[in-house]
Amino acid sequence: MSVLEAYIFATLLLGFFGIIFKKNLMMKIIAMDVMSTGVIAYYVLIAARGGFYTPIATGAKPGPYADPVPQAVILTAIVIGFSIQALMLVGVMKLARNNPTLETDQIETNNMP
Amino acid sequence: MNAFLAEMPGVIPWIALPFFIGFGINLVPKLDRPLALVVTLSSLVYGVMQLLQPLPQTVELLGHFGVTLMIDAFSGALILTNGLVTLAVLLYCWQTGKSTFFYTQVVIIHGSVNAVFVCADFISLYVALEVIGIAAFLLMTYPRSDRALWVGLRYLFVSNTAMLFYLMGALLVYQGNHSFAFTGLGSAPPEAIALIILGLLTKGGVFLSGLWLPLTHSESETPVSALLSGVVIKAGIFPLVRCAMIVPEVGGILALLGMGTALLGVGYAIWETDSKRLLALSTVSQVGFMLAAPPVAGFYALTHGCSKAALFLIAGNLPSRQFAQLAKLPIPPILRGGMAIAALSIAGLPGLGGFAAKTLATKDLLPWQATVLNLAAVGTAIAMAKFILIPRHPTPAPQPARGLVLALVLLVGAILGANSLGLDAYTVASGVKAIGIIALGGLLYYFVVGRWNLKLPRGAERIEHLIGVMTLMLTALFWMVVT
Repeated sequence: MSVLEAYIFATLLLGFFGIIFKKNLMMKIIAMDVMSTGVIAYYVLIAARGGFYTPIATGAKPGPYADPVPQAVILTAIVIGFSIQALMLVGVMKLARNNPTLETDQIETNNMP
Repeated sequence: MNAFLAEMPGVIPWIALPFFIGFGINLVPKLDRPLALVVTLSSLVYGVMQLLQPLPQTVELLGHFGVTLMIDAFSGALILTNGLVTLAVLLYCWQTGKSTFFYTQVVIIHGSVNAVFVCADFISLYVALEVIGIAAFLLMTYPRSDRALWVGLRYLFVSNTAMLFYLMGALLVYQGNHSFAFTGLGSAPPEAIALIILGLLTKGGVFLSGLWLPLTHSESETPVSALLSGVVIKAGIFPLVRCAMIVPEVGGILALLGMGTALLGVGYAIWETDSKRLLALSTVSQVGFMLAAPPVAGFYALTHGCSKAALFLIAGNLPSRQFAQLAKLPIPPILRGGMAIAALSIAGLPGLGGFAAKTLATKDLLPWQATVLNLAAVGTAIAMAKFILIPRHPTPAPQPARGLVLALVLLVGAILGANSLGLDAYTVASGVKAIGIIALGGLLYYFVVGRWNLKLPRGAERIEHLIGVMTLMLTALFWMVVT
């Protein structure tokens, strides 16, 4: 369990530092996605602390259940994250017409009054 | 559930209305403006109803795992602010030929800001804040220019990264309490508190986490700037204040950060030569007053929202954004008058709503805290003096558009009317103090600040630094929570 947690935090940090250090706008967006993958995995991990089985009421009782609440919540967050991702990619597509290299420094210098 | 509906009639239809209308508008594009008007009027009525309500009402939908709502006079004040500012923006845009898409986004952002003002659990708050982020992005990028796209993308980067930290905090609160309700924050581990506060500080444009705000609010279109600075920013402040009321130790941290942001904002603002940037920086400073004084935060947000929206609408219609240019160009007298009233209200002149809010905010503080805020108030007066003391130009100016005049009448009326909520602020001592602060600010502007030309570096506003500063704030917050 704690090894998994360490991996999740590594994913999170890699994503976060990717947002800061990657120069290309596209790569920054992908890094943000990596970071949100880390957060989602953390929710799933916490939900599985008590047990692994899906809480569906059937006759047989297989063992300790996973907590459904964080999973339900993170489903909403996944949908929101994905729509924001889509929106950002559309923005980048439009920006790419005049800034084909998508270098963040360049775009920022051109657009800071 | 049934008990709930009996307790708070109309809350669900009122919350749902903007979303139905927001999307429904696209089916009847001809009715976009009247339908948007219906939504804002419903919020005005609902806000006033809640403002007059003596007792807070808390409701849990579907047990303690579900949605928690809480409505009190504080929510009422903010809902009223939202209604007033959105109404002013609608009046302003009425004859500017904006597309239905624009009104869809305005209605949706209005609805989700309302949702923030009634929710009392971290997940509803998360959803509402993210919807605000998306709608704000679409409003910012409405002109489709490269600069607008960049400003919007930059905003989404910062807000989405902050919300990822927030989500982790929310999970840690759940782990400790098996509930996402705000009340769980008290027993949450320190890292949860630090992560959640970091997310909300960034959304609310507070202190170093708020350095994204000046560019975003100044480069958006005029009505969008008014909307963003008038109410949307309070969607980040509201939950912070709510948490400060529920958990006292969080309140202490937020008061400290509030003072920091109050000074940081004016520190930048007094040297600014661009009118819209000055207003945005002043917002960074004004949110500090709300955080420092949670009990009056609602009233403060109301007066600040109306004044700042009015100033943004006017600044966007002046012949230039540079103060140095404005002295050589004609300004219509109506705009000059509106500008003076709104700027004096933010500076805190007795007779205007801002005075009552500022007096009540600094009344119950510790002496050193009050000193810091008074210092920030002098700085605000210096910054606002730039608007009030623009030299008059003899040539007649063209008449401003009718929508703008109507919006200004509404906002100025609200600034004056807000006084009725803070009548106990009117004492001789507080009046003399407020006039003294404004006079001192005016003199300092005239003799010192106005004669210097200081250009502050803006490197901290680059996107890498905006994201990187989150690590610094997170460390600082964690340290503050632990000690």
